[in-house]
Amino acid sequence: MTICQFFLQGRCRFGNRCWNEHPGSGGAVGGRQPQPSGSNRRGWNTTSQRYSNVIQPSSFSKSTPWGGSRDQEKPSFGSFDSGASTSRNRGFALSQNPFASPSSDEDKDEKKLLEGIVKDMEVWESSGQWMFSVYSPVKKKSNISGFTDISPEELRLEYHNFLTSNNLQSYLSEVKDGVNQAAPTFGFGSRQTVTFGSPGFPVNNSSSGSAQNFSFKPSSGFAAATSGSASVSQNTPAFGAAPSASSAITTSTPAFGFRKPEITSAASFSFKSPAASGFGLPRFSGFPASMAAGPVGVPVAPAFGSSSSVAGFGGAGSRSHTAFSKSSGDAFGISSMSASLPVSSGSTTTDNVLFTPKDQLTAEELEQFQSKKFTLGKIPLKPPPVELLNI
Amino acid sequence: MSLFGTTSGFGTSGTSMFGSTTTDNHNPMKDIEVTSSPDDSIGCLSFSPPTLPGNFLIAGSWANDVRCWEVQDSGQTIPKAQQMHTGPVLDVCWSDDGSKVFTASCDKTAKMWDLNSNQAIQIAQHDAPVKTIHWIKAPNYSCVMTGSWDKTLKFWDTRSSNPMMVLQLPERCYCADVIYPMAVVATAERGLIVYQLESQPSEFRRIESPLKHQHRCVAIFKDKQNKPTGFALGSIEGRVAIHYINPPNPAKDNFTFKCHRSNGTNTSAPQDIYAVNGIAFHPVHGTLATVGSDGRFSFWDKDARTKLKTSEQLDQPIAACCFNHNGNIFAYASSYDWSKLAASPCSSELTAARSLGWT
Repeated sequence: MTICQFFLQGRCRFGNRCWNEHPGSGGAVGGRQPQPSGSNRRGWNTTSQRYSNVIQPSSFSKSTPWGGSRDQEKPSFGSFDSGASTSRNRGFALSQNPFASPSSDEDKDEKKLLEGIVKDMEVWESSGQWMFSVYSPVKKKSNISGFTDISPEELRLEYHNFLTSNNLQSYLSEVKDGVNQAAPTFGFGSRQTVTFGSPGFPVNNSSSGSAQNFSFKPSSGFAAATSGSASVSQNTPAFGAAPSASSAITTSTPAFGFRKPEITSAASFSFKSPAASGFGLPRFSGFPASMAAGPVGVPVAPAFGSSSSVAGFGGAGSRSHTAFSKSSGDAFGISSMSASLPVSSGSTTTDNVLFTPKDQLTAEELEQFQSKKFTLGKIPLKPPPVELLNI
Repeated sequence: MSLFGTTSGFGTSGTSMFGSTTTDNHNPMKDIEVTSSPDDSIGCLSFSPPTLPGNFLIAGSWANDVRCWEVQDSGQTIPKAQQMHTGPVLDVCWSDDGSKVFTASCDKTAKMWDLNSNQAIQIAQHDAPVKTIHWIKAPNYSCVMTGSWDKTLKFWDTRSSNPMMVLQLPERCYCADVIYPMAVVATAERGLIVYQLESQPSEFRRIESPLKHQHRCVAIFKDKQNKPTGFALGSIEGRVAIHYINPPNPAKDNFTFKCHRSNGTNTSAPQDIYAVNGIAFHPVHGTLATVGSDGRFSFWDKDARTKLKTSEQLDQPIAACCFNHNGNIFAYASSYDWSKLAASPCSSELTAARSLGWT
C-alpha cells in the first residue's frame, strides 16, 4: 500500500488510523497499540503460535478504528502471511468482509466475534484440551483454516505402527539428515510421546517437559518461542515412535525459536516488535510454528496420505518449507511461507546434532537443562546433552 | 453408597476388588470389575441385543483383540471367548439376532464373528482403518455399515466381498450411530451427515455442526414413540450438543451443554476441558450417559436439561460406555484414550459394570 506522505513529513493527522502506510511504525502496529484490555494481551501471549494468527486481527481491530483501518489491516495480514499461517489470516480477513463497509454495529459484532475467538483460544490452550482439532468461531460457519483434525485414535495408531515396525534408529538418522520421509516425522512424534513414559525410549525429559509447560503458559516472546517448540514436540508425539528423532525436534526447536529474532530482524517481517506485541509466538509461527501450527494439522493429515508433507514437518525449518509447499490440502498459504521465509530456511539449516556433549555447555545452560523448567531469558540455544535425557 | 437407589445393591456389593484404599481411584464407584480385562486400552463396548437371553458384553481393545464376557445378574462376569485382529479394534457391534458380532479394526478390515462356531471371517475391506461398524436391519435388507478413515461409508452384505453401496464422506469418519431408519455420521472437520436407511441408505441431510471443535462421539436418541428423532454429539471440548432432526423450534429445541470439565459451571476459574469419549442413551428412560477423558461418567436428562449424576473421578480416562438392552447395566471402560498424546505407562485396563438401581 501507499506510503503516507504526510507521515513522512511528520504531520499525518490520522496517525494510527491512517489508511496509508507509515513506514517504520507500520510493522509495529500490533505492538504499539495500547491494548484495550489486559486480558487480550495475555491472550496473545498465552496462545500458542498456532492461535496467534487468529488473535492478531482482533488486536488490530481493537487498536484501530475499523473505518480507518482497512488498509492497515491488509498489510498487517500480509506481513503475517510472511511468517504465520497465512491462510488463517487471510481466511479471517476474507471472512470478515464487513470490514469493507464498516458501520458501528457491524464493528461491534465483529469485535465480539474476535473477542470470543480470543477467549476460546485462551481457554483451549489453558484447559489442556485435545489440540489437534479444527475450530470454528461461529458454529454455522466453516472452520478457521490452519487447524487440522486428528483424532486421538489416529495418533495412537501411528504410535502403534512405529512401535511394531521397530526401526527407531533409522528414524533418528533420517532426522539428522533431514530427509523428507514420513518416518522421521513420526519419529519426532514418538520421541515426545515417549517422553511421557513409555519404556525403552530415550526420553528428553528436561527439554520436552519444560517445553511442554510453556505452550500453555502466558509468556513473553521467549516463552512463546519455546512454547512453539513445545507444540511442535507435542504434535510430533502424535506420531508415535522414534525416540531420538523427537529429541531432535525438541532440541532444535528452541534453537529455532531463538534464531527467530535474528531472522525476523533480518527479514522485514511484520513481527518487528515481537516482544512488544507478544508475537513471540508469531515469530515462532513464522517458523517452527508454522511447522507446529499448520502443522499440527497439516503435516498430520497429509501424513496419512502423502509423505511429503509429513516429512516437512519432521525436518528442520528449511525442510519444512519445501515440504509444506509440496503438501496438499493445506490451507496455509504455504507457498507464501516458503516464499517469505527464505531467510529462516537459510539460518535454520541447523541442527544436525541432536545432543550437545556436556562439556560444550556453559554452566548456566547445564543448569537450565537440569532444572525442571526453563527460566525465561536463560533458555539454552543448544540441544541438551544426551546424559540428561531420562525416560 | 446407594448413588442410584438400591434395588439391586450392585453398586454397594462387595465385589469391589480394591477394598477401600483411599488413594486408589481405580474403581471409586465400587462397581463390578470385569475379570480378564484386555491388556491394552479398550476402544469400544457393546452389549448384546434383547434377542439373546442374558447379557453378553463385547469389548474391542488396542491389543488387537475382541473379548466377550457373559454378565450375569449377580454381577459375575465370565469371560467367554476372544478373537484377534491384526490391528487395534476400533468398533464392535452385534447383529440383531445376537448370533454374530461385527468388529472393525485398524487393519482396514471388518470381521464377522459367529459366536456359536467361534469363527470370524472378514466381511469388509477399506483403504484405511475402519472406525465404525453398525448393523442395519431394514424390512427389505440387512447389512453392515462401516465408516472408515478413507472417507467412505460402505455397506456390506456379509456374503459378498464387494460392498452393496459406497457413499463418499466429506472427511474421515470419526463416529457414527444407527437406529433404523436413521443413521448419523460425524466426520473430521466438523462434518455431520444424517442418512435415511429406508429402501436403501441415502444421504438425508448435511448438518452444520452445532459444535466448534472436533467431533468425537455420537448417539441417536428416540422420541416417545420409539422413533429416532435426533442425536447427541460429543466433542473434544467437553461439550455435548443435542440436536433434533426436525424440531418444531430449532433454536430452542437444539442446545449444547458443557460436561467433563474440571470446574463444573464455575466459569471464572480456568477449567480443564476433557474430551467426551462416548455417549450412550438409556434404552428405556431416554436419559443419556456421557463418559469423558477426565475419568468420570455422568448421567443427564436431556428433556429436563439437567444433570442427574456424576461419578467420582477414576484414575484413568473412560474410553467407552454402553448400556445393556434393558438399561439395567451400564458398562464403562477405564483406559487411556491417548488424550495426553503419550503412551501411558499403566496400560492394563478394566471395565466396570454398574447396575442402575434407579431404573
